[in-house]
Amino acid sequence: MAGFIIKRLLQSILTIAGVITAAFFLTRLAGDPAILLLPPEATAADADRLRAALGLDQPLIVQYILFMGKAATGDFGMSLRQAIPAMDLVIERVPATLELALSSFAVGIGLAFVLGILMRMTRHGWVRDVITWIALGRQAIPIFSFGLVLILIFSIQLKWLPSYGRGTFAHLILPALTLGTYELALYLRLFNASLAAEQRNDYVRTAFAKGQGRIQVLLKHMLPNALLPLVTVAGINLGMLLGGTVVTETVFSWPGVGRLIVQSVSQRDFPVIIAGVFLISLVFVVINLIVDILYGFLDPRVRLA
Amino acid sequence: MMGRISISQGVAIGLLAIVAVLVIIIPLLPLYDPYSQNLGGSLLPPGGSSFDGRFYLLGTDTLGRDMLSRLALAGQVSALIGLGAVTVSLVVGVTLGLIAGYFRGPVEVFIMGLADLQLSIPRVLLLIAVTAIIGPSVVNLAVILGLSSWVAYGRVARGMTLSLREREFILSARTQGASATWNIRQHLLPNVLPQMLIVGSYEFGMIIVLEASLSYLGLGVQPPLPSWGMMVSEGQNYLALAPQLAILPSIALFILVAGFQFLSQTLTKENDLEMVA
Repeated sequence: MAGFIIKRLLQSILTIAGVITAAFFLTRLAGDPAILLLPPEATAADADRLRAALGLDQPLIVQYILFMGKAATGDFGMSLRQAIPAMDLVIERVPATLELALSSFAVGIGLAFVLGILMRMTRHGWVRDVITWIALGRQAIPIFSFGLVLILIFSIQLKWLPSYGRGTFAHLILPALTLGTYELALYLRLFNASLAAEQRNDYVRTAFAKGQGRIQVLLKHMLPNALLPLVTVAGINLGMLLGGTVVTETVFSWPGVGRLIVQSVSQRDFPVIIAGVFLISLVFVVINLIVDILYGFLDPRVRLA
Repeated sequence: MMGRISISQGVAIGLLAIVAVLVIIIPLLPLYDPYSQNLGGSLLPPGGSSFDGRFYLLGTDTLGRDMLSRLALAGQVSALIGLGAVTVSLVVGVTLGLIAGYFRGPVEVFIMGLADLQLSIPRVLLLIAVTAIIGPSVVNLAVILGLSSWVAYGRVARGMTLSLREREFILSARTQGASATWNIRQHLLPNVLPQMLIVGSYEFGMIIVLEASLSYLGLGVQPPLPSWGMMVSEGQNYLALAPQLAILPSIALFILVAGFQFLSQTLTKENDLEMVA
């Protein structure tokens, strides 16, 4: 187990180093930071002095190592628009994004769980068909379109829920529904497949032979086993979810990291964009690592792979 | 069983036919110019007529531009970007996948490591960062979307190559002195390509959604060129007054994405059936 954890840990560190490398190249593509930072009336001598201060007169490889070192401590330079370190601006927005991502995750898993069990227990074929078609149809609607349809129905027509901003629980409902249902079809398919696989096991036959009812066997015996793959894939899929927060936050004016990144693009505030992308990727890598290690604990077969 | 397959085939064909009519046939009709403004007839509902008596089948936008011809032009732009991006990602993905699977060793480790790395940055974010820096033109978008989407092709191509390279026809070609390039081009590529086109039919829908999302965020296609995502974003400000502005491009997107979802589903199913038979 220790070997497995160390191997996955090293992999994750390598991945993060790769992300920082990508960030370095993106920063260089954005242009000379000294020109971007200085006011237009600055002289060439000013620019040279700033370059020397920022270490930009060093060879590229030295700059790269310096960048690596700074990035590892979360230092992506100052925001070009506000006199605040870029990473501080991003960190300020993290709770809002986490709130949205975690609630969406819960909505997705929760709905898949309830609908999956419903599909398993119902004796009517059409119920299964309707659920499958709704989930497939939802998948074909982009996040921003679905969000606007929800706003149209629940904010404009029915006036039940607020259409933008963050604060109360009511503010959270529409964004979480928008983002959480996007991957529902995938979750449902997985959950159904793993329930079907559990059905074939001997312990299910034994439970039935002991005289237990369908519902009892399903909930008490099959469910704990069938949930594991669902949670794993949902964890891995969190990257999709984190990417989806960018669009969702823009639709609902949700003050998270994604909205900050989009606003920074229109202000051409490159350090903030790169700090934001780096932080979300970091969160994603860490979550994947945790999911993998947890799974290794729960299912010994994984460690051998 | 046959009946079920033909239902989803029928749905796929029907949906894609609607898209084809919108993108290929509508622009051929003598309709309004998608750019010309008519301020005497702005925000008309579908089927409305302006003060000067002009009829608009799907209504007009805030500047009185014809929604139908704008939807058609936007569809052409999206389809063009999608085709370009799928081509780029298919070429890059298949090349890297075949190389990784055929040569194995450190080359494979490097290429697959690159794939893992790319998957560890959410695709939308990567695209935002890159377009923010190099600027969004139609060509840039197609290339960036393509370069960020090669992993699906690369993984499938590598997986297939791993088993193909041990088969007799490759072994015999190799013992007869065929070079790696020859083997890859003559023997591996034709075997891998059909599967790649199925991946492509799935990815096309994904790429259209990504492009629409970027355009919605204002980071994709730039005005005056219209795109569905941008039209939705413009319509968001008039959601209470004229919901059709955001709904119509959303429906167009839905039809296209659902069409390609069904297409890739039926293609996958048929292929499995062939493999079993």
